[in-house]
Amino acid sequence: MLGEFEYLLITAAAGLGDKAYGAAIREGIEESTGRKCSIGALYTTIDRLETKGLLKTWMSDATPQRGGRAKRMVRVTPEGVLAAKSFYDAVIRVSRGASWVANRNGSSL
Amino acid sequence: MGGEPEWEQLMTSAGWSFVEVAAYLLEREEREVVLGDLIEAGESAWLGLWDVLGLVARRQLVPLKSWRPWLASFGLALPASLLLMGFSVSISQTYQRLIHPTVFKATGLTIGPGFTLLVCNVLLLIGWSWTGGFVMGAVSRRTVRMSAVLSFLPCVFCLARFRVESLSRFCLLLFMFPAVWGVRRGLQISQIRLRTALILAVIITLLTIPTWSSSGSWIPNWVLSWPAWYLVATAWSGSADAKLYRSRATT
Repeated sequence: MLGEFEYLLITAAAGLGDKAYGAAIREGIEESTGRKCSIGALYTTIDRLETKGLLKTWMSDATPQRGGRAKRMVRVTPEGVLAAKSFYDAVIRVSRGASWVANRNGSSL
Repeated sequence: MGGEPEWEQLMTSAGWSFVEVAAYLLEREEREVVLGDLIEAGESAWLGLWDVLGLVARRQLVPLKSWRPWLASFGLALPASLLLMGFSVSISQTYQRLIHPTVFKATGLTIGPGFTLLVCNVLLLIGWSWTGGFVMGAVSRRTVRMSAVLSFLPCVFCLARFRVESLSRFCLLLFMFPAVWGVRRGLQISQIRLRTALILAVIITLLTIPTWSSSGSWIPNWVLSWPAWYLVATAWSGSADAKLYRSRATT
């Protein structure tokens, strides 16, 4: 089962599609969680997910917007999609009946 | 007031110089990616420095989660260096006793009755040190510095306390030469051929036979001999994998 941050990273990368790379994923995670995402956490998690076969990464060409530096592009593999879906389903299942979940038993809070 | 922007600019460029220097602790490709991300995100130099140092620290700590660096450091480097230092001194003393320096000067070698044993022990020292170094390099490539420090610490301690007048204190370090050679080879190739590994392990085991009669020597013998048999095991596993791939490729 994925960890919370692993799920966030895979979901952000999947949302970005072909434009998923380190800085964009980081920005996506920071915007959606409102928390700072360190470069260390980002790249060590990307490495771990790639080792598990849930992500694939490669180097892009250098771009002038980044001072001529290359990007590390990221793509979610089919295994990564399954792992993220399984995490999401588990969160939905475990959240049923929790007081903060809207539309609990057909009504909202 | 007019000097403020200049001062800020100076601080920013100094900060970025620190970031770039810190980024040299990362591998080349990763350095490019991280510096590019920081420029794109428009982060301040000091936050960028913090980020880079955080990644460097994580990169250094990640290998320590594995059992391999711990085995290489505490199961091999530390005990083996202590035992090999003792063995180096023992060989030096035997050499001194068997080959008398005044006779050596006048007529050449005077071979004592224990000369064969001395040769066996020298070969054993080379074999143990080389295989130990090789396994240390192969098992903990990314943490080899930690293992090196742990093997050198006892050496520094013993060098400082060495009090045998007839011997130079550098006799303690005889094992270092084959060990460093072994570490270098281990880092380069990580595995040797099964036949070579087997021959090496059998020779090392045979060379320990003269010490079997003395009680209590089997523990240091096995502490120093296991790397040779570990090399056999990894070479055997490697050759089994290669056979499997070949058979898959032909079918």
